[in-house]
Amino acid sequence: MVPMHGGANRKEEDLDVLFQAYRAACPDRDPSVNFMPGLWQRIEARQRFTFSFRRMVSGFVTAAAAATLALGMYMAIPHTPRAYPVSYVDALADANSLENPDTVGPVQMELSGPGR
Amino acid sequence: MLVDFGVIKRAQKGDSAAFNEIVQVYRKRIMGTITRLIARPEDVEDVAQEVFLRLYFSLDQLRTAEVFEPWLYRLTVNAAYDYLRKARRRQEYRMSDLSEQQVMMADAVAGGKAEQDERQQKQVREAVDSLLGAVSEADRILLMLKEVEGLSLKELEKVYKVNENALKVRLFRARQRVLKAFGAEKKDGPANTGELR
Repeated sequence: MVPMHGGANRKEEDLDVLFQAYRAACPDRDPSVNFMPGLWQRIEARQRFTFSFRRMVSGFVTAAAAATLALGMYMAIPHTPRAYPVSYVDALADANSLENPDTVGPVQMELSGPGR
Repeated sequence: MLVDFGVIKRAQKGDSAAFNEIVQVYRKRIMGTITRLIARPEDVEDVAQEVFLRLYFSLDQLRTAEVFEPWLYRLTVNAAYDYLRKARRRQEYRMSDLSEQQVMMADAVAGGKAEQDERQQKQVREAVDSLLGAVSEADRILLMLKEVEGLSLKELEKVYKVNENALKVRLFRARQRVLKAFGAEKKDGPANTGELR
């Protein structure tokens, strides 16, 4: 039995005794027969996960590199500006002919409605 | 050190037999330490496997033989700490969670000296668990390594990679908190710790 004493030193001693009793109450224990197979299963599962993750990352990196290369090549090709047969002002004048204005003219307002 | 550094070197190169040898030499000790750190016998093997799993994937970082054991302790401490943090979030262990077989085993040992010894050991475990509830998981582990596992401050310095004075301060504070809880427990319920030894 642990003696219960007064005083701080006694309390310290009692605590030490309790810790030692705890050590004895939880001895080193033998693992089960499944310990090693279980451990190797976990190692292999982690390896598989790491392998597939690496493969996925490497796939993404390859795809990104290919896309960058393709974009770079596209940007490097010189693009000739499209040759317009007429100037911008001429094209605008053709599109908005003064003979048939669609926005010019007085606004017609119907003031005599059926209720007036 | 319990294994030759040559064995570790071979394991670093991927020799499974060498790694098995390391595990077989250290597993009993590591499991004992984990048992005392987490106080949940049913999860000890799982945490021990986690320790050796971490060892397997970080073995190539080891450079010198003398740091192997502190380093293995460090892995053990980290795995136990992770477990305790997760366990805090989980619901507490209840009698209703016991399997039928466990209940039958508990009944079977009822009566006789074995039961008395087991009851006494259980009392000790519960008393220490309850006392260590007064400190954080990190301090619980530190106290366990010092007071129960018997690691010296020099060894703890290698495990924690902090200087001795900082460890002394932390240990002192943790121990004071436990002592305070110990005093309170003795006042409230001497039956709990009064029948130890």
